[in-house]
Amino acid sequence: MNKILLILLCSLVTMASRIIPQFISALDRLPRPVKKAMLLLPTAALGSLIFPLALTDFGSQWYAGLGGVVIAFIAGFKRSSMIVAIVLGLIATLLLLAL
Amino acid sequence: MNKRAIREGIHDGLPIFLGYFTTALAFGLLTRSSGFSFVEGVLTSITNFAGSGQFLMMNLYNGGAFMLEIVLSVFFINARYIFMSASLSARLEDKKSVIGRIFVGAGTVDEAFAVASFKGEKLSYSYLIPLMATCYLGWVSGTAVGFLVGNILPEIVQSAAVITIYAMFSSLFGNEVSRNVKAVAVVGLSAVLNSLFILGMGLSTGLSFIMSMLIVVVFACFIYSDEEVFDNE
Repeated sequence: MNKILLILLCSLVTMASRIIPQFISALDRLPRPVKKAMLLLPTAALGSLIFPLALTDFGSQWYAGLGGVVIAFIAGFKRSSMIVAIVLGLIATLLLLAL
Repeated sequence: MNKRAIREGIHDGLPIFLGYFTTALAFGLLTRSSGFSFVEGVLTSITNFAGSGQFLMMNLYNGGAFMLEIVLSVFFINARYIFMSASLSARLEDKKSVIGRIFVGAGTVDEAFAVASFKGEKLSYSYLIPLMATCYLGWVSGTAVGFLVGNILPEIVQSAAVITIYAMFSSLFGNEVSRNVKAVAVVGLSAVLNSLFILGMGLSTGLSFIMSMLIVVVFACFIYSDEEVFDNE
């Protein structure tokens, strides 16, 4: 397989889905329910962005992923900065992997 | 350009820089172990700037998938950017700048979108572009460093590094719950559906993600009142 071609084709579909919507002016005058849905999209996506990959990425040590996620959640809930949440999550995962 | 907005953009981008840098270290390592050259690995991050899409690309490449299958899957997993980019586009202060919109479009990644979503009704290029550029630098430099340091990192840190991206999403989740407890139901359903689709039904990560996100956003529209969505902005 031509790796450069693969990389550029993946880039093409990714960048097209990001750049083209910037120029579709109909999207600027969205009805309120559609706008509401778009504002809720990040929250709706969060669960799928975390699970199940945060667990399956660690294979049999899935609990290490879960530990990091839980600790970062608590930090976020307490309104810590994102760096603090990430570092605490990383430490939790490292400790659990080392068990 | 507004200097205060530029500083704010960089400031808000720094935590993402850290998360991206560490995750891109893992990506750099992955490209190396998959037989990509340094140039190919870094080119992937320069031209794609898409965490999950790039990891997906490498996984399918290593799994021996056909090129079209890989590109289609990458399209699926990245199709959410259509919604995200349109959402950011609608909130730009200056809608006339073509260059500005190309930059904002190209820089529309999950974390920058999430941070910008909770930022306010109107968004300026002075804020968005430095925010996105900071994320981009973290992603590309992390890939390069990850490829180069390779085996220097202890094995355990390499295997733990992937948690940074999930920790980032999880802290956003915690933050959302502290604003509105309904987020638990929305994020929970999203997690359950996605797990069911991937683990139970064997759907591709990309397709499963799109289906989960679209089903859950309808659910979210029902349980969140208009005031809760628009007043939080």
